[in-house]
This record gives sequence, structure tokens and C-alpha cells, in this order.
Amino acid sequence: MVVAPPMPYCPHHPVVMSPITLPGVGEIVSFTTLHSPPEGFRSPLHIALVELDEGARFVCHGAQTEGLKIGSRVAVEAIDNVYYFSHLGAMDRARLFWRRAGRSGERVNAIARSLAKRVWKGKQHAEQ
Amino acid sequence: MADVWVAGAGMTRIGRRTERLQDLMAEAAHAALLTAGIERPDAVVVATMNPEEFLGDGNFASNVATHMGFAEVPAMRVETATSSGAAAFYAGFAQVAAGLHRTVLVVGGEKMTHLSTPRVSELIGRSIDPYERSYGATMPALAGLITRALLGRHGVTEREIAQVSVKNHANATRNPYAHFPTAVTVEDVMASRMVADPLRLLHCCPISDGAAAVVLTAQRARVRVAGVGQGTEALAVRHRASLTSFRATQAAARAAFAMAGFTPARVDVAEIHDAFAPFELISLEDIGLVPPGKAGAATLDGDTALDGRLPVNPSGGLKARGHPLAGTGLAQIVECVWQLTGGAAGRQLDAQVALAHSIGGLATNNWVTLLEAA
Repeated sequence: MVVAPPMPYCPHHPVVMSPITLPGVGEIVSFTTLHSPPEGFRSPLHIALVELDEGARFVCHGAQTEGLKIGSRVAVEAIDNVYYFSHLGAMDRARLFWRRAGRSGERVNAIARSLAKRVWKGKQHAEQ
Repeated sequence: MADVWVAGAGMTRIGRRTERLQDLMAEAAHAALLTAGIERPDAVVVATMNPEEFLGDGNFASNVATHMGFAEVPAMRVETATSSGAAAFYAGFAQVAAGLHRTVLVVGGEKMTHLSTPRVSELIGRSIDPYERSYGATMPALAGLITRALLGRHGVTEREIAQVSVKNHANATRNPYAHFPTAVTVEDVMASRMVADPLRLLHCCPISDGAAAVVLTAQRARVRVAGVGQGTEALAVRHRASLTSFRATQAAARAAFAMAGFTPARVDVAEIHDAFAPFELISLEDIGLVPPGKAGAATLDGDTALDGRLPVNPSGGLKARGHPLAGTGLAQIVECVWQLTGGAAGRQLDAQVALAHSIGGLATNNWVTLLEAA
């Protein structure tokens, strides 16, 4: 199990988690727009549940949901410790993103992988 | 384990109430004790989700027991968020089944309408994972994510989801205890204000005050508790494998039917936790009352209507009877008892086995209760 943000224990097993680093790219599991968000948030508030290719699911904010579908490819970036998704609709946008992400080394940190899964799979993973 | 029986049931009218919660709970409790023919129970189990914040009152088991004249009766409070009433029923059931007490009064309720809607939403939302809450996730927001995922799944349509609200409002017009005994149409639902896209206002239950109570005894009565099951799930929605089914409901149903020793085919009527209309469809499939992927079509075909194969939410459900949080799990059980004993005038069904299903938080602590007419 990979969870984000990091937790001391896997939610489903009492085993200790360790931090890893993953690329911030994945797909939309679901999304919604809140028209009366709670205090401290501006309306409309776009919220998505994103699953990274490596398995961690994130609750993210986004600038818009137009054209978004379940399964849409998105990039996830952290700005001031808040995660935002952006739609990777066209190839150009994807390339642009990767050029930028590659240069600045922007990656999604603070993701943890449960030891349980590794033991279960019987694999060794290099830790960062 | 000894057999446990429901000897009495009572509830208040659900809605905007001006009385104190202690008065509402006393009204429900005394009605239940009266039908049970019991003056003083051996123990009291109290369910309230958050009287500390809603009312500013703590130590609530002693508070309400004293208010009812049971200051010297052992009392305790049980809390599992919005399913607290069902959890309290389980605690009372366990006390009688274990032989610790002969008669237990279980009473639950909530009083919220004196506060503003944003304040109530914020307080209810505290049962959500703190990290998800920090992104503005409220109960309707997470239900919106679930609804979108459900619509994305083959077979479920917006019309099917709307029909849940239409059916439950139609049932509530026959229930004098209901918060909203008013009919709505599919068009009304689908034109109502968007709350958390694609979830609309008429998909969502109201904020209600009210209380409900039952008396459990070791002595044979007209309704037997056939099974009670609890199921749990990770607090955070992002830690779950599926959005379109609730593990907590599946586990609760498995446990309840295992205790009862029969299958969902025996169930004649069900009270389902429709805090949001799509939850009724998800829950019917999770419990096994409807085959996977068929709940929407079954609802549209009228299978779950009052005159259908399996009437669901004859009381009007959370949507239209109302949702006084910790009162709801017990209000569902009260409706089941009335359906099994001829007490549901205006919406009476011919039923031998009734099921109540209660969701705590965003489906993190759920209960299924099975009752059987003796």
C-alpha cells in the first residue's frame, strides 16, 4: 500500500511505513465541484481524487474540471504543501510538463509505501 | 448467547423541534417503555453523536438518564458518528444476550436546527479524515466523488438516483413522524440546486432534530433480534480500494446474516441509510438485497417501492423521514418493529423479517440489524 501524505502506520495493517519518492503523474478516480464550500475556501471549489501510477491516491485541488473525465491523465504538483492536479489533455501539454518537471526536478515527495506490500510481494526496493 | 427481544419502540416526530434534546429523548423513551409495559429498565444506553458541540452538554448518559428520572439506573453513552443509534442498540443487545441485564432501554437522538447550516455541516464534517477535510472535503463533497464514480459505472443513471429521492418522499407522505411528508418528482430532483457536482440538493438528507428508543428484554416478546453486525473501513476515502461499494456495509451484512443463520432472500422490508440518494443503491448491492449492478434498475422498476418486491425505506428514509444523526439508527429500528407488529398505519406491510442499515461517518463504521417477527 502506498499512501499520501506519509503516515506512521499502514491504515490496514499495524506495520511501519517508510518514505519514497514517485513521479507526480496519474489518473482521475473521481472529481466534484463544491458550490458552497466550507469557510476558508473559494466557490466553486474543484476537488479530485487522483491515483498516481505507482498507486497512491491523493485528494487534490484543481483550477477547473472542464473536459475532465474519470480516467483522465493528470499531473499532480505540490504548491505550498497543497496538491493540485492539472489536466494532461494534449500531447504538447504533457511534453511541456515533463520538460518543466524534469528541469526543476519537481516530483511528488512525501509518499510512503507500506512494508506489508513489499513483504507480501517478496521484493526488495531501494529507498531514497 | 440468550435470545434478545424488542419489547417496546417509540420515537418523536422528526423535524425542526424547539424542545431540548433531553425532552425529545424522554418522549421517545417513555413511549418505548409504555409499549413494553416496563416502568424502569435495568440499564440505559444513550446515543448522541456530538452533544458537546451541538448543545454544550457533556457527560450525556448521566445527563439524559437523570432528566428521565433514571438517575440511579446504570447508563452509558455509545458513539460511532452518524451510526451511533445502531451502535447503542448493539451495546444494549450485548448486555441482554450476555445476561448482564434483563431489560435495557436504548435511546438516541440529536438536536441541531438551532445552529446555522454551515455550522452544523462543519460539525458533522469533523467525522471526515482531517487531511481530506483540509482540502475542503465535506460530507456532500465526498458523496459527490462517490456519485460521479457510480455514474461512471455501467448501468447507473441520474434518473435512477433521482428515483430514490422520489420513492422515499412518496413513502414519507404516509408517515406522521416524517420531517418532509411531501412528494417530489424526478424533474424536481434533477432541477434542484447543484451541491457537489453531480450531487444535487434533493439527493441529500435534511438537518433534523428528533429521538427514538427501543426496550430490549430477555423475556419473549413479539420481535426477536435475529442478528447484528458491525463493519469498519479506513477513515480516509483515499485509503480505500473502491468508491462505489462500502466495505463497512459488506462486512456488517456478512456478520449480521451469519448470526441470524439466514440469507438476504428472507428480508421482507429494509430501512437503508440514504443520507445521499446514491448510497441507497450502493447499500442494497453491498448488503446483497439486490444483485450487483441491478439496484438502479430495480428502483426505477418499482421493486423497492411500498408495493414492490422488497420495500425499501417505508418510513421515508433519511431523505424524507429525516436524519437526527444518533437518533437515525434507532428510528430505522423503530420503523422495522412497527412494520413487523402492525404499527405502521398508512404504510403497513406484511413482513416477517426486517433489516436496518446504518452508516457511520463516510461509511467507516456501519451496522446491519436483522429483526424477526416471533
